[in-house]
Amino acid sequence: MRDWLRNFKFDTLTNRTILLMLIGIGVVHIASLYAYQIALDREASVASDTRLADRLLTIKRAVMRVVPAEREPVAHELSGGPIEAHWSRTDHAVAGGPGSAEWEGLRAKLIELAPELATNQIIIGANRKLESDPHLALISLQLPDESWINVSVFSRLTPPSSNHGTVLSTSLMALGVIGLSILLVRWMTRPLQTFADAAQRLYKSADQARVPEEGPREVRELASAFNEMQARIKRLIDDRTQALAAVSHDLKTPLTRLRLKSEGLKDKALAASIRADLAEMEQMLDQTLAYLSGDRTDEAIRSLDLAALIQTLADEASDAGADASIVGAGRLTIEGRSLALRRAFGNLIANAVKYGARARISVSSSDSTVVVTIDDDGPGIAAGDLVRAFEPFQRLEESRNRDTGGFGLGLTIARTIILGHGGSLMLANRSENGLRATVILPIKATASAAV
Amino acid sequence: MPLTVAHAEAPARVLIVDDDGQIRQLLAGFLKENGLDVALARDGVEMRAALGQQAIDLIVLDLMLPGTGGLDLCRELRRTSSLPVIMLTAKGDETDRIVGLEVGADDYLAKPFNPRELLARIKAVLRRSRGDAGASTPSRNGYAFDGWRLDLLRRELINPEGALVELSGAEFDLLIAFMESPNRVLSRDWLLETTRNRTPDVFDRSVDVLISRLRRKIEQGSDGAEVIKTVRGAGYLFMPKVARA
Repeated sequence: MRDWLRNFKFDTLTNRTILLMLIGIGVVHIASLYAYQIALDREASVASDTRLADRLLTIKRAVMRVVPAEREPVAHELSGGPIEAHWSRTDHAVAGGPGSAEWEGLRAKLIELAPELATNQIIIGANRKLESDPHLALISLQLPDESWINVSVFSRLTPPSSNHGTVLSTSLMALGVIGLSILLVRWMTRPLQTFADAAQRLYKSADQARVPEEGPREVRELASAFNEMQARIKRLIDDRTQALAAVSHDLKTPLTRLRLKSEGLKDKALAASIRADLAEMEQMLDQTLAYLSGDRTDEAIRSLDLAALIQTLADEASDAGADASIVGAGRLTIEGRSLALRRAFGNLIANAVKYGARARISVSSSDSTVVVTIDDDGPGIAAGDLVRAFEPFQRLEESRNRDTGGFGLGLTIARTIILGHGGSLMLANRSENGLRATVILPIKATASAAV
Repeated sequence: MPLTVAHAEAPARVLIVDDDGQIRQLLAGFLKENGLDVALARDGVEMRAALGQQAIDLIVLDLMLPGTGGLDLCRELRRTSSLPVIMLTAKGDETDRIVGLEVGADDYLAKPFNPRELLARIKAVLRRSRGDAGASTPSRNGYAFDGWRLDLLRRELINPEGALVELSGAEFDLLIAFMESPNRVLSRDWLLETTRNRTPDVFDRSVDVLISRLRRKIEQGSDGAEVIKTVRGAGYLFMPKVARA
């Protein structure tokens, strides 16, 4: 039971509805029972007051009619139930004291119900002799000859009848309503799960995932609106991709011309400098396109030797004059997208070389994962900026001049690619100075990466 | 064995099919300077006309052309001849690459390309196609050795476990040179010749460095057996049996 309570989550629509229904029905149930009981009590008290007045009148008349010697036996005869009557020369009831207001009310009510009682004195109060008994109301009726009838009333109220039947039926009704509402809410919320699944699919693949337009009208309308929205999003993405392809094509043609023109230059130094600028522009274009295409990729997952891939990148960095070294590489087969991983590790190594003077790469593997760390000897990143470093277009430290190239997409792209492989990328400052980028990749492509 | 296309015999004639006039002219100038003969066409119609008029050894074909697109032209060419084709595209998308290779292009280069890399690819494709002259079949697109596979179309090396092994351009060209002349000692100079146009923007690595990198990648795990043997004073010898695949 305790486990069940602990596991009961209030954030699902079904459970919230059940909770709301329980509270609502409980409150209504208790309130109606209360109102019912009040009405019942009032009814009962009116009836008992009338009965009391009638009996008092009967006793008074009967006692009045007989000689004094027989008055006590007659009074006694007429006693019974909650009423016990005695005749005496004196009054026993004392008005005032605790409960006097209630007695005064009773007195007024009795006179109203049987005005004849009021022809002589009528006192309602505690018993002179048994003052301590609060339950015992004593009514003293004066007779015309100034003798008294003292009537003890044990209880003016009829005991409340226990309404077990009512409680049971109301509870059964509540249970029924709760049961029905669970079924109803489950049935109504099932389409929501379909929507959630479809939205996920839309995100992960460029394909349109349509939700069936069926069920109650509201759900049908929601499904239709959802499908329309999906179509719009897909159109938007397609348009954007198209526009990007057009822009990239239009930019690549003049870039190609410039490349060719630079070959004809007599000034070799100038030609080299122009080619370096062109390479930078191409890289920016390339990175922007990679960033905008996000984690959508049409590259297939395949088996590849990650060690050879990183080795090639390190060699290329060395050939370009950078200080890049690698340890622990053997043959290391994983499942992944080769071009994407090439880009991700290329960006990380380029960052290490650019900002940290050198890249020291280590590759190791366990049963199910590969760990690649890339250490540099740079100043590292201020602790507060470690998260910001992954945000697009963030160039940490204003002092990093533009000569270093790039414009803040490298880490963003690397992380997107590695997350897309079901892996993780972390940055941390090394205790001995410099930054360490740690990449953990699963050896087998995970389900999420296989989309 | 034709070693250099440009000097050993009549220059090869390359047909450039591109709708951008400047690129056509600039590319023509660059290729002529490097010893190739050039013909020009701006679209499919002119390409067919040029093919009818003169002997062409290789076509450099742009993917995005007005009228009939590059992919369709390539498909059309493949139905009638085995003329080598290098595709140029502005996209550089992996899908485009695969599609380009599937319609039968011999190689693929994304714009903006490095002109010297295009030259190197043209020479490599010409060398391959001349080597096969007469015996050319559409399936001649790779080599196999010791369970390894070298895919010339996709420029991919697959190890015996079926995993893709990344190679640099120069390493790939070096490996092709060995595949083309198995069990023969190849001199450093000859190997340098086949690879030096590959990465012209960085200073050329010595052949020895490239060999050691290649060894590290293909000798890993193969029982420590020597795949590339150093022959003192002569060069290098590729040991395994090589088959066309």
